[in-house]
Parts: sequence; structure tokens; C-alpha cells
Amino acid sequence: METVGFLLDGIFTSLQWFNLALLIFGCLIGLFVGAMPGLGSVNGVAILIPITFIIPPTAAIIFLAAVYYGAMYGGAISSVMLGIPGASTAVATVFDGRPLAVKGEAMTALTAAAVGSFVGGTVSVILFTLFAPPLAEVALRFNAPETFALMVMAFATFVGLGGDDVPKTIFSILIGLALSTIGLDLITGKPRLIFFNIPGFLHGINFLVLAIGIYGIGEMLWTLEETKGKVQMSKLSVNMNEVGRAFGALKKTIMAMNIGSFLGFFVGILPAAGATPASLMSYGITKQLSKNSKEFGSGVPAGVVAPECANNSASTGSMLPMLTLGIPGSPTTAILLGGMILWGLTPGPLLFTQEPEFVWGLIGSLYIANFFTLVLNIALIPAFLMVLRIPFAILAPVIFVLCVTGGYAPTQSLHDVWLMLLFGFAGYILRKLDYPVAPAVLSIVLGPLAEKALRQSLILSDGSMGIFFDVSEKPIAAVIMYIAIVLLIMPAFGPLYRRFFKKKQTA
Amino acid sequence: MSITNKITVKRAEIAVAVILALCSIALMIKSAENRITWNAEENMGAGFLPFYLSLGMLICTTLTIIKFVLKRSPQSKDDTPFIDAVAFKFIAVTIISLVVLVLAIGYLGIYFSLIFFLAFYLRYFSEKSFAFITIFAITTPILTFLFFEWMLKIPLPQGISEPLFYPVYDFMYGGFSFAVKMIFIILTVVLPTALVFLTTRFIK
Repeated sequence: METVGFLLDGIFTSLQWFNLALLIFGCLIGLFVGAMPGLGSVNGVAILIPITFIIPPTAAIIFLAAVYYGAMYGGAISSVMLGIPGASTAVATVFDGRPLAVKGEAMTALTAAAVGSFVGGTVSVILFTLFAPPLAEVALRFNAPETFALMVMAFATFVGLGGDDVPKTIFSILIGLALSTIGLDLITGKPRLIFFNIPGFLHGINFLVLAIGIYGIGEMLWTLEETKGKVQMSKLSVNMNEVGRAFGALKKTIMAMNIGSFLGFFVGILPAAGATPASLMSYGITKQLSKNSKEFGSGVPAGVVAPECANNSASTGSMLPMLTLGIPGSPTTAILLGGMILWGLTPGPLLFTQEPEFVWGLIGSLYIANFFTLVLNIALIPAFLMVLRIPFAILAPVIFVLCVTGGYAPTQSLHDVWLMLLFGFAGYILRKLDYPVAPAVLSIVLGPLAEKALRQSLILSDGSMGIFFDVSEKPIAAVIMYIAIVLLIMPAFGPLYRRFFKKKQTA
Repeated sequence: MSITNKITVKRAEIAVAVILALCSIALMIKSAENRITWNAEENMGAGFLPFYLSLGMLICTTLTIIKFVLKRSPQSKDDTPFIDAVAFKFIAVTIISLVVLVLAIGYLGIYFSLIFFLAFYLRYFSEKSFAFITIFAITTPILTFLFFEWMLKIPLPQGISEPLFYPVYDFMYGGFSFAVKMIFIILTVVLPTALVFLTTRFIK
């Protein structure tokens, strides 16, 4: 019952005119950012975070969550119309959304995507409301060793479930952590890694510099290379009869909605996963379970609904560990978590007791944002199609301007802008060679928190690492640590498993 | 054979791995300026974590190099160009113009540098008319100025152009009535934005 009261408070908080205006504005920006090929929620949130410093944290998180949400809806627009995913989260939407558009049923695909997103978003936010308070209560009992173990597990998930080259993934995690150690050491007060005695390094490397570098500059370079500044759009005739027909077609997609919503939510909770794998998995499973699985890929609405449901659901799911444990569930939530630190909040379960307005305002806003994004999305489809016609050669410099000003604003030093350019270029090259970049962003955000938790634990245990592995003394920390170890060594068994499996198949 | 054909994915992979390995070694040496030991009495030295993290990085890059030598990674067998010639032009011009932009920000200040950056970039990559580019290159810095300096109260670097902004600051923080300021905003923000929108529709 208490939860209902908090939730109502949260909904009222997000309905205050200032918050509501930011929410609608955020949804619009999110839809736009999602719809632009090459830009996704993570890029939008990274580039926009510097401008949230002047508004209260509750308003800021409502705004950014709306951007996150809107981008999940918007990604479908370019997947369907251009055949290029608007964001990595909408890759699976291309499989059936594009064929539908080619058949001349683009409006069906877009409506299916919007309704799918709405259902996924609604189911997941209800699950979120049910799960968050009890999880936060459990997490309140966590001390430094448990926190550190959780962070190790978050890193291990990338290695175990990320699916990328293992040495390259670990390298990415380690370089993020190493970058986070630059600056003054909190415990001894000594300066660390001050390259060439440049004073700019004394205040450390702000995670935003890396995030904007990689997701702003790096992503733009990547998209410039992919599209060479040009895109092709399919034709769309917008009439409201088609919207009605599309709603009729949705009756057959209830199974896809169920799979997408529930699977998406739970995949979203996992630190490494986020919305991209959630949408791909949900597409795959829906296809396998469907009676007419052979039609998938030739343009069936269920093939659009499943991934769209899942990516919205996963984006809400990934906020669950961010709020309750202080561990982000996706690259975007990693940046939101960093933002919370910049706004002066301490991420983790204490938020529920110390900042109820912030937490419940965010949860309440998800309900409201879901509704507004659905309405805005369907109503503004013609407007977004106009936006998609903006040539990339005009959009790119505008994004660069936002990156440069956004990189400068938090610390007001050109040093950070140079670093941002460097990270952007390095991120672009590394990404081309299959080094995953998301783990680096996650670890530069979690680095200082992990270091603090590690050193506090070691002070507690008089310098013994045993504190993390002793089941009788710290059972939770130990269990999490062992799970992390299993995840870390899992990729080593991949080839063995495949060999065994192949033998069985041939036998 | 052009330069972009010579840089294959294979060559890029090994070059990057070696550079990253060298960077890891440099980081280890740099970390060792602080105490890198850890024991129960003294707890952790300030250099301990960065040292072992960069050691880990070195191990990872060494593994990447070993995988390359044993031809176990997909990149080690890939003889296609790392980047094609058309894309290379896009990327190179973008990066150079960004570097020049940041260099210019330190000297000219951000607002004037942005005008030149936008004008150059649009002229080079888009097929827009001279009129469109001019309006676009001038309104974007004005919007940036109003957004950061007026709304967010965050001063952006102005370099040698700073004295030019004194009258604007006098106006912003002077005793003008709200109505006058609003008229000013309409003249400097709404009109130019509308102009840009109109020009995108009617001027090619």
C-alpha cells in the first residue's frame, strides 16, 4: 500500500508544470534523436547531460529519462523508413519493419512499433514499481564488500555475456578503470598519472568527457563513414485509415508483446545487456515460437512488435539496478548514474529513503512519458519524416557544436575538450577493430565508486582479500563474487562447448 | 595503390595493438612514481591500482597480439582496406576541422570560431546555397550564446573577442525591463531561427 502512495506522489511530481514541460520536451528530443540514423538514447543523454546542471535533479532525471524513452520509440522510425536502424536498439526492428515499408505498409509497421513500445514500456514500469522497493530494502544491508562484489559482477557480465572478443572487452574495462584513477588519490591525497605535468589532469577525467567523446564525436565519425552523408528514404502515404487497419493487425501480436515485455525487462536488468540484445533475443524467440515463423523477415507486424516491446521494456529494466544497487544496467544508465553523482546524489538504495521525491518522481514520470510518447509518436510521424530528410552534412556539425560546448561546460576547461576529441577519435578507431566501447564508459563511471568500496573493504579486513570470498562472514558478497568468477571464465568454455555440441550433432 | 588501400584491417589491428601495449607500459611506468605495493600495515599505495590495471591492459593487448600472430582473430585474416577512400576524405576533413576549431576557440573565442567552422563544414560537405550557409553559420553561435551565457549562466571561452561582448553583458545584466529583453530575444533568436527554417524549405 505504501508503494501506491509513493507512486501517486511520484506521478503528481512529474505532472507539475515544469517537470511535465521538460518531460514532453524530453520525449520529443528522444524521438528525434532515436529517429536520426546513428544517434541513439546513449548519444542523446551523453550530449544533453551538461545542460541539466542548472535544473533540480528530479527535473533533470525526468528530462533525461524521457529522452531515453523517446529514443526507444524513435529508433523504429528510421529502421522502417530508411532501413537503417535509428539506434542499435532498433536493429531487430529492421528485419520485419523494412519489408513492411517496401510492401507499402509503412504505416502499419510504424503503428505496430509505437503500440509495441507502449505495451513494453507499460508492463516494464509496472514490474519496476513492484520490484524496486523490495530490492532497495535488501540492498540497504549492503556494505562496501557487497558493493564492490556487485561492481565486479557488472564488469564480469560484459566478459561473460557481452559476446565480444574477450581480451578486447577486458582491455576496455581496464582502460576505463585506469582513466578513472587519474587525479588526486582520495585516501593518500597524492596526485596520480599527471601526464606531462599538465594541471588539467589534477581534477581527474570527468566521465562525461569520455562519454561525449565516444558517443558524440566517435559515433558521428562512424555514421559519417557508414552513410557518407547520404540516406535513401522510402515513400510513405499517411492516412488515418491505415492507422486503424494497423491496430487491427495488432490482435495477432499478443504473444510477441508478452515475450518482448517480460524478456526485455529481465534482460535489461543485467548490467552488460541493455536494450540491444534484449530486442534481438525477443525477436529470435518470438520467431521460434510463432506458428508462422517462416513469414518472419518478409514483413509481419509481430516481428516489429517483439523487438520494440523489448527495447522499451529493457530500458526501464536497466534503471532498476541503477536506482536500487547503484549499478547501471546499460550504457545509457551508466551515464545517468554519472549524472546523479554530478547532481550531488549518491546512487544506491539510500535514494529511496533519502530522496523519495527523486526516485518516485522518476518512476511516476515513466508512466506519464509512456503515454505522451505514444501520442506524440503517432501524431508526429509526418514531422519526423521531414526531419529525416535533413542532410547529415547539416546535422553533423550541429552535433559537433553540442559536443564541444557540452565537453567544455562542466569543468570550463579547454583541456577537457581536447581530451574529448582524442577519446572520440580513439573510440572510433577501436570500435572499427571490434573493441567494445561501452565497458569503458561503464567502468569510468563505476571506477571511483569501485575503488572506494575496495579500499574500505580492505581497511575493514586489515588488507585481506578474503573478505570477498568468505561465505560464513560475508555470504552475499561471496556469492556475488563467485557468480562473477563464473561469468569471467565462461567464455573459456565456449569453444569446448561448441566442439562437444558439434560432435554430438554429427554423431 | 592509394594510401587507403595500403592500410588494411590486418595492418591496422596489429598497429593499434602495439600502440596500446606501448601505452600500457607507459602507464605502468607513470604509476610507479607512487608507491605500488600493498600490505596489511601500510594498506594500498597510491600507485597500486593504476599500476596493476595497466599491467592487465598490457596482458590483454599481448593476448590480442598473440591471437593475431596465430591468426585466431577475424581481423588477422582481413586484407580489405581499413577505410575506403571516400569515407577517408569525410573522416580526415572532419577531424582536421575539429582540431582547428578547438585551436581557434583558445584564441578567437568559441563564437567566432563556430562561425568559421560551420561555414567551412557546410560549404565543403553540403550542397546548400551561400545564403543558407551564412544564415546558419551566424544563428547557431547566437543561439549557443543565449543558451549558455544567458539561460545557463555558463561563460564559454571568448579569447581575444571578449571585449566585443561587454556591451551584450551590459544589456543582459543591466536594468532593462523584461519587455525590452523579450523584444531583444525575439529579434536575435526567434527571427533568425524562423529564417533558417524558411531557408531550409525554400533556398536550396
